[in-house]
Amino acid sequence: MNFSALLNAMPGAVAQGLIWGIMAIGVYITYKVLDLADLTVDGSMATGGAVCVMLMLNGVNVWLALLCAMLAGMLAGLLTGVFHTAMGIPPILAGILTQLSLYSINLAIMDFKANQGINVTKYALIVSQRNVRTAGLNNPILTALLILALLIGILYWFFGTELGSALRATGANEAMSRAQGINTNMAKILGLMISNSIVALSSALLSHYQGFVDVNMGRGAIVIGLAAVIISEVIFGKLFRNFALKLTGVALGAVIYYIVIQVVLWLGLNTNLLKLLSALIVAVFLGIPYWKAHFSARYAGKGGRGHA
Amino acid sequence: MKKAVVMILALVLTLCMCAGALAEETYRVGVCQLVQHVALDAATLGFQDALTEKLGDKVSFDVQNASGDSNTCSTIVNNFVSADVDLIMANATPALQAAVAATDSIPILGTSVTDYATALDISDWTGATGMNVSGTSDLAPLQQQADMLHELFPDAKTVGLLYCSAEPNSKYQVDVITEALTALGYACVEYTFADSNDVASVTQSACDGCDVLYIPTDNTAASCTEAIRNVVEPALKPVIAGEEGICAGCGVATLSISYYDLGYATGEMAYEVLANGADVASMAVRFAPNVTREYNAEMCALLGVQIPEDYVAIQ
Amino acid sequence: MLDLKNLKKTFNPKTVNEKVALDGLNLHLEDNDFVTVIGGNGAGKSTMLNAIAGVWPIDQGSIVIDGTDVSHLPEHRRAPLLGRVFQDPMTGTAATMQIEENLALAARRGDKRTLKAGITRAERAQYRDLLATLGLGLEDRMTAKVGLLSGGQRQALTLLMATLKKPRLLLLDEHTAALDPRTAEKVLQLSEKIVTENRLMTLMVTHNMRDAIRYGNRLIMMNDGKVILDIAGEEKKRLTVENLMTAFFKASGEEFANDRALLS
Repeated sequence: MNFSALLNAMPGAVAQGLIWGIMAIGVYITYKVLDLADLTVDGSMATGGAVCVMLMLNGVNVWLALLCAMLAGMLAGLLTGVFHTAMGIPPILAGILTQLSLYSINLAIMDFKANQGINVTKYALIVSQRNVRTAGLNNPILTALLILALLIGILYWFFGTELGSALRATGANEAMSRAQGINTNMAKILGLMISNSIVALSSALLSHYQGFVDVNMGRGAIVIGLAAVIISEVIFGKLFRNFALKLTGVALGAVIYYIVIQVVLWLGLNTNLLKLLSALIVAVFLGIPYWKAHFSARYAGKGGRGHA
Repeated sequence: MKKAVVMILALVLTLCMCAGALAEETYRVGVCQLVQHVALDAATLGFQDALTEKLGDKVSFDVQNASGDSNTCSTIVNNFVSADVDLIMANATPALQAAVAATDSIPILGTSVTDYATALDISDWTGATGMNVSGTSDLAPLQQQADMLHELFPDAKTVGLLYCSAEPNSKYQVDVITEALTALGYACVEYTFADSNDVASVTQSACDGCDVLYIPTDNTAASCTEAIRNVVEPALKPVIAGEEGICAGCGVATLSISYYDLGYATGEMAYEVLANGADVASMAVRFAPNVTREYNAEMCALLGVQIPEDYVAIQ
Repeated sequence: MLDLKNLKKTFNPKTVNEKVALDGLNLHLEDNDFVTVIGGNGAGKSTMLNAIAGVWPIDQGSIVIDGTDVSHLPEHRRAPLLGRVFQDPMTGTAATMQIEENLALAARRGDKRTLKAGITRAERAQYRDLLATLGLGLEDRMTAKVGLLSGGQRQALTLLMATLKKPRLLLLDEHTAALDPRTAEKVLQLSEKIVTENRLMTLMVTHNMRDAIRYGNRLIMMNDGKVILDIAGEEKKRLTVENLMTAFFKASGEEFANDRALLS
């Protein structure tokens, strides 16, 4: 086994992890802050890339295309929010409905083609896997880190404002929030819009990084997002108390996820088993807090008897 | 925390089936295949057979499958690029795109890709890509398929084009054959399904609206031919298929290419690149070497379709 | 002023679980009224408070607070007029947020939430002084998560939050029911202090007869979704638990039944 090959593979894993880390931050906002499991992301994880790539192919400036991708993600969140708040559909189902409708919408955005390539030599792509081992300013790791820092900064500021606090309160206690005059329906819609615009940003960057957008690109995205959130909770939960640090932890969680995958591939795992492995990683990290509680309770129980 | 790390490591070790030990071989080839699928498997096999025949044990393969997840293709090719393989074979469109995004120096050969110009966003297509990419196209001879449909069903008015909207290659084939069929005087209507769940109902509406159905080389259709047959057989609508597998399941006739042959041809190209130093950038994308006119005897009998002498029955 | 006119509310209509909770309820409160509310099981005490707060739409009738008809406003749009403390200490505060953040949320009750800072330095100083008046040591734990507080501490905090921005009407819904007797006593005294100092119009539901008699200037008793007894002023001061029971029997024709009522 060639250890230098593994080291050599690390930049790619880190870059991929950082881009998915942006997506995981979007998931964190719905899953942890708003306390909603939002499955819209499996759809919006393709929408952002579709909008960005199609606009760029039609000559739109890359940053403007990125902005439009985020707006499209916002609309997806809005749709889920309306399904949930105005039509009383449970959030998981509302997300699934949007996800389903996004399949058709994404196809329509992509001119009813399921896959569209974008050529790194012809377009000014923000990140490209091709530069992942170069030492220059175009290295996608550097760019992804900058975007992440900016994003975390903005979110840290926003969730400290009156409006952001109202969103957090809605996730923490809806009855109390309404009693304090917060329109919780609006707060949820806003949260879903913010979350999905971040997911769409990640999607657009991923399509740049991979050099294509595919209508199935978002399939299973929620699992990767949740994996990152849960990994960060297990590893950094005690360490990172501050909101900005927590978001950083989530991005690191995604990096860890992709490093584990890369290591496993390097060890020679048959890739047919990769999905099984992904599910197991998430299951194990989900289980750790439960086991911890279980074992410490038993330990405490014994200790208690000893004292009695 | 430490427990968690140990558990993950233990998990990883137990799951590791085969450790690829590659050291002294001359050529190392990474194969990235999009999904487990009969046709793609055949192409990978043909590729390996061709190279092994020519290079014997001087070549080693690292075959990885992304299980249908286009994102995993990126992870796999990242592994190849970091291991500095001598050549990457990308089986299906997203695998090719991921490989192209990952490297502009390692030669890449694609297969089971229908249209390189669209997949790689090349606007001035000349037959070769002009970059570190070449390969084989699984484009079925669509003009000939249109002619075949015309030969068998000269009196039909409307042709229903049935395919999966998630497959880029299908859309491309349908666009091309629509042109050919329209030139022959047929009216064409597209019927798309998003996944196997919609197949039956979409096929039903295609049967209601058309005289003949055409299904291109489409992975989703190929995986649910039984469901399609359950609709077309009672409706007595003949299906012309883009490839043998679909024809055997629910069609009456096809002009078939062999994915094994296609993979084999890709393997021969790989030999040119590896052993003879051929320049990938100027190598023209190749097409399937042989096509065969085939028919499904059972379906033809059921639907009362007369098949000319020179067709071969699918076994 | 509060005016409840002919309020009606039926839960699970046209099912076997149908329950008429408010049945033509009428009630008028003057600006300085501190009214205690008692009644048997399912008399409609909490339902009345929830109807005023707008937790769900009412079937019929009108709710007017200080001349504003709020009968059809959504819950969050009535909030500017109302301060609320709930029976469950968990309901009134956000457990995963800090003490000072909870107060800052309450300080903006009824205001448009903007992109200005969620809490300012001046506010922190103000909250510290305010918390110090509770005598619970919370002023030194301002950035602690509310989830770490005891039930009594949370209710005291909720009371502060409900009155931080002076409401037109304070709704106390059995807010000491989940507390141990000593803590309950403390929270009740705090409630009275805040109500008196701010001259708040207040409705306090309680299951404790003695507290109902001891606190407030007016006492109402409910049965079957209506007010059946309304005692104020000097007459209220002379009330005892015994003559309250007798009065209830006379007005309703049935025995007083409340699983949790404390008669002593």
